Amino acid sequence: MIDIVFAFLSLTAIGGGLGMIVLAQPIYSAFSLIVSMVAIAGIFALLSSPFLFAVQIIIYAGAIITLLLFVIMFLNIKNENLPQEPNKFNIIIVGAILLVPFNILIIKAFNTLPHKSMKILSTDFGSVQVFGMELFRSWLIPFELISMLLLSALVGAVVYARKEKSNG
Amino acid sequence: MSDFLLAWIVLVPLLSAVILGLLYLYSIRVAKLSNTVFSFFGLSAPFISLFIGLGFFLQMLGSDKVIIYKAYKWLQVDNLVLDMAFRADHLSIFMVLFITFVGGFIHIYAAGYMKDDAGYGKFFFYFNLFLASMLLLVLANNPIIMFVGWEGVGLCSYLLISFYYNDGENVEAGNKAFMANRAGDLGFIVGLITLFHYVGEYRFDYEGISLAIATVPLPALTFIGVSLFIGAMGKSAQIPLFVWLPDAMAGPTPVSALIHAATMVTAGVYMVARFHFIYDLIPNVGLYIAYIGAFSSLFAATIAMRQTDIKKILAYSTMSQLGYMFIAVGLGSYSVGIFHVFTHAFFKALLFMGAGAIIIALHHEQNIFKMGGMKKHTPLIYFTMLIATLAISGIPPFSGFFSKDEILLGAYARGEYLLWAIGVVTAVMTAYYMFRLFFVVFYGKNHNTKRKIEYVSGYMKIPLVILALGVILSGLVGIPEVLGGHNLIGLWLENWSNDYAEVSHNTEFILMSINVFAAFIGIFIAYKKFFNYDMTKVPKLSGLVWNKFYVDEVYNFVFVKGLQRLSSFIVIKIDINFIDMAIMELSRGFIKTGLFVSRMQNANTRYYAFIMLTGISAISMYLIIKLG
Amino acid sequence: MADSLMSYVALAMILLSIGILGVVSRKNIFIIYMSIELMLNAVNIIFVSLGRYYESMQPQIMAMLVIGIAAAEAAVFLSLIVVLYRTKKSLNPDVFTVLGQKRE
Repeated sequence: MIDIVFAFLSLTAIGGGLGMIVLAQPIYSAFSLIVSMVAIAGIFALLSSPFLFAVQIIIYAGAIITLLLFVIMFLNIKNENLPQEPNKFNIIIVGAILLVPFNILIIKAFNTLPHKSMKILSTDFGSVQVFGMELFRSWLIPFELISMLLLSALVGAVVYARKEKSNG
Repeated sequence: MSDFLLAWIVLVPLLSAVILGLLYLYSIRVAKLSNTVFSFFGLSAPFISLFIGLGFFLQMLGSDKVIIYKAYKWLQVDNLVLDMAFRADHLSIFMVLFITFVGGFIHIYAAGYMKDDAGYGKFFFYFNLFLASMLLLVLANNPIIMFVGWEGVGLCSYLLISFYYNDGENVEAGNKAFMANRAGDLGFIVGLITLFHYVGEYRFDYEGISLAIATVPLPALTFIGVSLFIGAMGKSAQIPLFVWLPDAMAGPTPVSALIHAATMVTAGVYMVARFHFIYDLIPNVGLYIAYIGAFSSLFAATIAMRQTDIKKILAYSTMSQLGYMFIAVGLGSYSVGIFHVFTHAFFKALLFMGAGAIIIALHHEQNIFKMGGMKKHTPLIYFTMLIATLAISGIPPFSGFFSKDEILLGAYARGEYLLWAIGVVTAVMTAYYMFRLFFVVFYGKNHNTKRKIEYVSGYMKIPLVILALGVILSGLVGIPEVLGGHNLIGLWLENWSNDYAEVSHNTEFILMSINVFAAFIGIFIAYKKFFNYDMTKVPKLSGLVWNKFYVDEVYNFVFVKGLQRLSSFIVIKIDINFIDMAIMELSRGFIKTGLFVSRMQNANTRYYAFIMLTGISAISMYLIIKLG
Repeated sequence: MADSLMSYVALAMILLSIGILGVVSRKNIFIIYMSIELMLNAVNIIFVSLGRYYESMQPQIMAMLVIGIAAAEAAVFLSLIVVLYRTKKSLNPDVFTVLGQKRE
């Protein structure tokens, strides 16, 4: 049963990814990506991390891609202004061939790990409490740093996008 | 007489040349010297050599002695030792004698001929240098030293032909002589090298070679014989390397007399006689030599019949007579060939000197049809040239008769009837063109009475007389037994004679009569045509024979233009297009590669990402292979 | 299939490859951005699956931090796209070659 779920989720994720890179219009690609993100969130759930499942949906699919959709719609690109991409299939195929050795390498590397069962744990591994404890115990400083990073990103984004009054 | 004086035969003219050269430099840089200073050295040298040579000759009379003087060791390579050695045997001493005798008198003649020339000292420097080289050539004990002399006479020939260097044509004639000689020298060198390859391990002097000659395989021997003869072809102006001889007449007449009549051109004949031990073993090559001689003889005589320049007629006549000499040595009668060299030296030198005297007398006129009636103006020259012309035509009792007769007899007795026939026909033509020259110059009505006859100095007249005596007397050394003589020269050069079938005395008489008769036919035809020649009717000459069968033009087209085209082809096609192109392309290639690589910095991010991708791919493949 | 680490790794690798292909092959800057996000997600999958494998929470926390970084990056990236679009009115990153070698 779990296997079917896993297969469904992974296929959705992969399909979404492929759709994203193949579709011509950015809006459609963004929708594809949302689908993929949700599937990935499901994968997180299968991996006994309910917190990340939620975080993924809320932040990634709900904020980041939404922001992206806003920007796409804001810029209001007409179809004829889109960049011409006549060779994208060729390059995809060439790139795919080039990526094969890389994949083989990583998979071979991971193959050396002994087999362990990856069933969903019934303990509170991955629950919010455990997550929070771990976060504020050992990862406090990165947490603070992330908040500073987000602040500076925010300020930077606003500064950049100002209308050209001074240096734009 | 001690042996080392042998070296002085060569050294005296050589030293004299050096002194003359230095004196000449002095006279043009510091203070002018009078002609007498130069004459003192220039004229005494040949006669000193003559006296030394006579001394050796007398020593060698009656015996088969061979005197070899080794001056010093010249080269030593591994086992081979080459000495600067001189060899006096019957052949070389004989050559020394007449070279210095005739040469000495030509020097005296030149003192008169060149007396007004500013380069008087330079002339005698070259002349003595030439004599030294020629003597070195004949006295050498090994072929390498002979080749040194061989080259030396070639050089001096060039220097002397281009003596009047202000006229570009003379220099071209000198170049032509040198180049034709050089072409022949190539053959000579190739022959020498091949010979050396086979027999030259321990010694390379004549005696050593002749002892070892039997070990050389026949094909190689044939090749050597032919190659050496190519050298002789160049030096002695036979077909096909004869083209320089008529042009060489651009030099002063004493040069023509000495070099191109009596000495240098006979070096080829001497060489064949010297290498008789080779040519004895390859009679086929000898026959080939004889035929070349015969055809050169005929060819030259044909051209001479229509020439109008007095010196050119004599030049072609030299080539023709040289052909006779090669007939003789080709068939193996080396002594007969040398005999003809000997007699030819006298009468040809006399002819040239007489012609030079006429030219001076008529203010450098050389066209015979502008001369005429000189008999009453210059009786001495008339008389001496008559003797020489009779000699060359083969009229007894003058020397030419005996030597020419011996040659033709030898051809007939060996069964070479074609050669004999060519010889007889050429004799007719020889008599014809020589007497044509004689009659036109000395008889004929000279309508141009406004000429002033220049005085001919005594320096020039005395040698004419002496040589005329020589012409008369030189035949005496070769009077054959059939006529009561002892064939002295045949005995003297016994080692260089080959036997042939005996011919009965009657046949000999008949052959002799045919020769004389042939000469008279030629003289008669010339007499009929030219005796009372009307000078105003100068013939217009054209046609194949007059243009010397266009040989020069053919050579020019094939060799000269061919080489020019080849070198310009190489320059353009290969040097500019190919080599320069290659180097330019190499440097441009570097620049292009640089530009190409720099295009990778095109600031296109996706391009960079793609390159990164390929990089990752390559590294992964490497790691997969490495880590299994 | 859901039981082994390898399937999750394989899935992640495929998503990663798709992301790389997207960056390399598309000329539309939005697509490129989305591909980058996809790559980040693939890496997150690997992190979390390893966390489950070793039964440790650390990779999960790291994955959350990655998501935080992705958010910051999104803000900056998108504002840059807006700015650049204003200058050249094109979404093609090939247009911005000012810093590169001039083609002769």
